[in-house]
Amino acid sequence: MSERVPVIDAHLHVFAKQSEQFPRELKENLPADREATVETLMQRMRSNAVDGAVLVQIGGTSIDTHAYLLHCLAAHPDRFRGIGLVPPQAKDPADHLDRLVDRSEGRIIGVRLGSLGGPEDPLATVDVRSLPVYPIWEHAARHDLVIWLYPRAVDAHVVPHLFEAFPQVRVVFNHLMVCPGPKFWYDEKGRPQADVPMPPETRYSTMGLKIGRILANTRGTYPYENVCVHISGQYAFSKQLYPYRDLAGWHDSLYRVFTARRLMWATDFPWIDVDPGYGQSVGLPSELMPYLEEQEQRQLMGGTASEFLRFTPPPIT
Amino acid sequence: MIRSPTDNDWHQWNRDGVLTIDEAIGRVELEHLRTAFARCADDAKSDWLAGVKAGTRPAAFFDLPDPMTLDDQFLELVDHPTYYGHLLAFSEGQVTFLNPQFRTVPAAPLSYVGWHYDVRRETTPLHMKVQIYLDDTGPEDGAFGFIPGSHLENSGPYPLVRDPASMPGHQVYSGSAGSAVLFNSYGMHTSMVNRSGRARRSIILIYEVFSEATYSPEQYERFADRLTTPDRRQLLRLERRP
Repeated sequence: MSERVPVIDAHLHVFAKQSEQFPRELKENLPADREATVETLMQRMRSNAVDGAVLVQIGGTSIDTHAYLLHCLAAHPDRFRGIGLVPPQAKDPADHLDRLVDRSEGRIIGVRLGSLGGPEDPLATVDVRSLPVYPIWEHAARHDLVIWLYPRAVDAHVVPHLFEAFPQVRVVFNHLMVCPGPKFWYDEKGRPQADVPMPPETRYSTMGLKIGRILANTRGTYPYENVCVHISGQYAFSKQLYPYRDLAGWHDSLYRVFTARRLMWATDFPWIDVDPGYGQSVGLPSELMPYLEEQEQRQLMGGTASEFLRFTPPPIT
Repeated sequence: MIRSPTDNDWHQWNRDGVLTIDEAIGRVELEHLRTAFARCADDAKSDWLAGVKAGTRPAAFFDLPDPMTLDDQFLELVDHPTYYGHLLAFSEGQVTFLNPQFRTVPAAPLSYVGWHYDVRRETTPLHMKVQIYLDDTGPEDGAFGFIPGSHLENSGPYPLVRDPASMPGHQVYSGSAGSAVLFNSYGMHTSMVNRSGRARRSIILIYEVFSEATYSPEQYERFADRLTTPDRRQLLRLERRP
């Protein structure tokens, strides 16, 4: 008898309109009156039989700006897990993380990192202990928190040094393991867009395997067992419309190197809600990875997230 | 004086698909080469760093852009007498030069490239590379790794490994500055992890047996005034090999 495998959307954002109850920072794509509520999300999830999701903080790094995330986690304790943010200049990031974990009753399971603060010159010596994010990784190692990683291109060469220093830390590399450069903007649908060559040039630092003209020549297994990669964010990197077929080769490479056991599907809601739509995003792996066997498909769509994040939401009704 | 392969070289080439050439570049020539390489790297570094930051250039290696234009002695490497005779012999006189890579590889816990072959024997004629070390390169310094015999038809299969050093049957070809490794690119090879804490510099010269697919008189036309012999013009693909 096979066990039920939940479907988990492993990376998305929810936010309320700016208010006293749910304060947040305002940005170009996050004006005060924009909202992507948990109710809308639940509607999408029900319509598409998605059982659970990982809600990633957006709209600020302070504890106060996590109010809506904490609210959603409390309102749907078995449906969601959360990923928090730490202020870049936090004097005591460990205390900040402890407070987030406590206030969420353990449902904030990790922290998202963008800038790693390493030397910009890849020829310079990397001393991980001197990195501003070192205390966060150290805390994650001690408290079994997950690092949600979306590094900038300039930091890509620092990544394996951290993996080497903290092999016990579970890491989820966001959005196809792309490390975007500074060319970042929002399109007319409010979606983040990044001008990134695909496959990404940063792969030489982060992947460490031959990915090139001969796809079948992608030979090897990822050196770090505790690293997963999100199958998400295609809309931001593709030069084509849905189903973003120009990215199919890179999906294939990720599959060969990581296997479905270390890949997690995600939608990056709400950015995809209008184009291509939540339902289309659910179907995207079938379009770009049609070679997945049924069991691998289940693994990608939630099995990996459930095992790796130790989170099994009940069936959605 | 062009050196030719010895009987032992032939045997090793046919059996292993890889040869080491000690002192391929002599001491004085090496010093000139290292000085020129360092100067050109200094000149090109700011552009590379800008590309790394923009995500348009890899951080895992730093290649001099269009290196043959940067210093006259660089072009002289393509038919250097210490290994050109081998290339001629192994290709039955049909060798052509495709591209150079003047490469600096920073120390990192991850090799920038895993075990792989470069071309398929089904689609590509004999493809060879010469890698010249500019620095003493020990086994922990990102040295060249190759699986002897993997260039042969029906060799393998080879397992998928997490750590390049765990590949069964491989050898690491470390060498002193100025030594070179000549290998058949049908074979499985990699750059081992550079754990030395310092960057490893080498020059990789890429060759292939002449075919119409790579015949390209335009690519090196700009060096025509220095390609004064028929062999050089054929090597650099300004003319077809007969």
